[in-house]
Amino acid sequence: MSWFQKKPSEPAAEAPKTTPPPRAGKGLKVSSILTVETVLFPSEGHDKAAVLQSLAAAVCGKAGIADWAAFLAKVQEREQGISTTLDTGLSLPHARMDGIPGILAGMAVLKKPIPDPKQPDLSIRVMFLFFSPNKQEAFPMHLQLLRGVSSLFQPALIDQLTASSGPAAALELIKKLEA
Amino acid sequence: MKPEPRPGRRVTEVVVLTTAMLSFISFGRAAAIVLCDMASTAWYIGGIVETAVGPAAPWFILAVLLCAAPFLAMYVEGSAMFVRGGVYKVVSKAMGGMLAKVSVSALMFAYALTGAISAVSAGQYLSGLVNSMFPRLGIHWSVDPRVFSVLCALCIVAYFWRQNIRGIEESSDEAVRIMSLVSVMAVVIFIWAGVTIYLRGFRWPATAPTFTHESLGWFPPGWLGKLGLLVAFGHAFLGLSGLETLAQVYREMEAPKLKNLKRAAAAIFFFALLLTGTVSFLAVGLIPDDVRHTYADNLLSGLAMSMAGPHWALLILQTFVVLVGVMILSGAVNTSILGSNGVMNRLSEDGILPEKLRHLHPRYGTTHRMIHVVVAIQVLTIILCRGDVYVLGEAYAFGIIWSFAFNAAAVLVLRFKDRSKREFKVPGNVGFLGREWPVGLAAMFLILLSVGLVNLLTKKIATVSGLAFTAFFFALFSISERLSRRARAHAHDEHREKFNLRSANDLAIMRDEIERPNRVLVAVRDPGNLYHLNKTLETHDAETTDLVVFTSRIRKGLGLVDETVAMDHDEEKLFTRVIEAAEKHGKHVTPMLVVSNEPFYAITQAAQAVGATEVVFGISAKLSTDTQLERLAMTWGSLQKDKQPVRFRILGPGVEHAVDL
Repeated sequence: MSWFQKKPSEPAAEAPKTTPPPRAGKGLKVSSILTVETVLFPSEGHDKAAVLQSLAAAVCGKAGIADWAAFLAKVQEREQGISTTLDTGLSLPHARMDGIPGILAGMAVLKKPIPDPKQPDLSIRVMFLFFSPNKQEAFPMHLQLLRGVSSLFQPALIDQLTASSGPAAALELIKKLEA
Repeated sequence: MKPEPRPGRRVTEVVVLTTAMLSFISFGRAAAIVLCDMASTAWYIGGIVETAVGPAAPWFILAVLLCAAPFLAMYVEGSAMFVRGGVYKVVSKAMGGMLAKVSVSALMFAYALTGAISAVSAGQYLSGLVNSMFPRLGIHWSVDPRVFSVLCALCIVAYFWRQNIRGIEESSDEAVRIMSLVSVMAVVIFIWAGVTIYLRGFRWPATAPTFTHESLGWFPPGWLGKLGLLVAFGHAFLGLSGLETLAQVYREMEAPKLKNLKRAAAAIFFFALLLTGTVSFLAVGLIPDDVRHTYADNLLSGLAMSMAGPHWALLILQTFVVLVGVMILSGAVNTSILGSNGVMNRLSEDGILPEKLRHLHPRYGTTHRMIHVVVAIQVLTIILCRGDVYVLGEAYAFGIIWSFAFNAAAVLVLRFKDRSKREFKVPGNVGFLGREWPVGLAAMFLILLSVGLVNLLTKKIATVSGLAFTAFFFALFSISERLSRRARAHAHDEHREKFNLRSANDLAIMRDEIERPNRVLVAVRDPGNLYHLNKTLETHDAETTDLVVFTSRIRKGLGLVDETVAMDHDEEKLFTRVIEAAEKHGKHVTPMLVVSNEPFYAITQAAQAVGATEVVFGISAKLSTDTQLERLAMTWGSLQKDKQPVRFRILGPGVEHAVDL
């Protein structure tokens, strides 16, 4: 299913060229979609798959979704494709799911970086997992969240997060930055 | 604006590509370039044609100029089919390589002589002015018109040699300035002539041609009868000099290309008709019969000196006419260099001439070696003719008529051979038996063939020198083709554009390439999938927006460190298609190649470095559009340093997706 508005009959000239594009991530704060229950500080020794599993369980648990394995399977399927790890140390696994009303998100802060099996030269220091509704009209929001999270989680914030004492402190750092 | 690449994902090399003549010109500039050649004939055609056919010359000049309309239409049809067109391309597609080489050899003869006759004629006008001024200034000395004109001609050719090395935009500036001055001169002449006619009256030229033994050549006088008109028409055919250049500058014409080509053709037709046609009649009508022959080589000087008014005023008018004449005739030299360069480029692209000839000037990006060759031929012609305008004029109609005849035959054959939809057709098409019959084109071809055959008999100099030159060039092209094809067999077979590469290890280099307030970046990879580039070019506003066409070369590990900036064959092929697309639409693009270890980072860094507000992709064979956009959104956010919004567009046949971030 595609989120796009298909406009085969319209010539390219009529594309909304002059409409000023909205600010990326406008109206959507990362801190508003995270809670202390969905911010994890996994202990050392976990690999990427284990962190992802813990995050999926936490995110679905907070949303009252019992079949979290289906969500994990979907995001693992997406992870088989093009990498979602950035060279800032942020890993951004995501999937579009049927039947959810809005964004579901969680974050894992890794005190000790873990390697990304798909890109051995990159280390994961923060993993941000989110699910968005699998609807055409929700896809721009999905993209804006990808852009917004990538923009927010720069090395300086990641350094602060990994040095923070726990979920509440981590959330506070993000809120402060977004204020 | 410059992103700071992190150690993990980075752009290590940035290469900006420039190529020959990637600037585009307006229809006015294109018309000015062609008119510098075609309208410059006004300064010498009257004298040459009258020497051949007598006082009836203006009628035949008028007839030839009226024929320019269908001939221009023929060039418009051919150019609309092939952006890099002209006689060679059209004939080659219609009738094969051998006839194409013959036609282009004849054309090269015309170009060689156009430059020479224009430059020598300018010298003749100047020598006439000098010789009439010196006695008034108390200088009892005169210059030898032939020696003086040869020296002048060499100076003019040297000047435009330099200008053409610098590029078409520079040389079209000159053409526009020259044509502006010519327009002013035409208005002055017409008004002054109107007053003179009011005071003295006007004698219409005789309508019947009178031939000399020389102007009939081998043509049996007994055959004259009605064929006399054709003979006289053939002698005036040099009035159509320069039309091929219209096809050669079409590549550089800005959007909307076809509309601008038609506008240029209309401007050329009316200007040449008005100027050359009118002054030819005025010269015969106002210059007394007994003195006109003394102005055979500088007829417009004679016209200026035959106007009503005090002698000092006539001298000023003559000076003005001569100076403008020197300028436009010099402009014709420029046009001939430009046109010959275009023709030789087509030959080289097609493997007739060696690739080395297309080497680009390191600073100006022009095909300087070809320009050297063209100029060398013109210099040789100027020296060999020893300042004789009549000889040159008689000879060079050969090249014009036969290149036209081949072109008409080719456009006619293509109507049957290639039935694809035409953007423009020469009028005069009749529907019969369920098919369309190009009667207009056929008639044009028959007229050209008849004139060409008659000229073979009447113009001894043209026939001998033209056939010799054509045969020489045909042999040269054939040998060169064999050698070039052998060399190409080891490399690649199809045409590849020549590029100058400017490289740096910093994306800041792109700032030098950006001139307009808005920027769009189009990412390309596959030469066979440029749909999105073409769609973008269709609606691209070249006045306000820079279009950066981007590709990345992905290297990992040590390969990234050791990478050289020279383009490989695939990249050359890709950017050749990009340039062809830009030419087809008449819109400027900035081609760019970066070496990186991650394609999405490369696109993002490049787009952010140029300040792109829109990034355009084609449909990928490997990744879904959703996945492409997700990855791009991530890298965009990760690297973005400012609040600049961006639009991502994915374009494919029948599909247009857009998202604003």
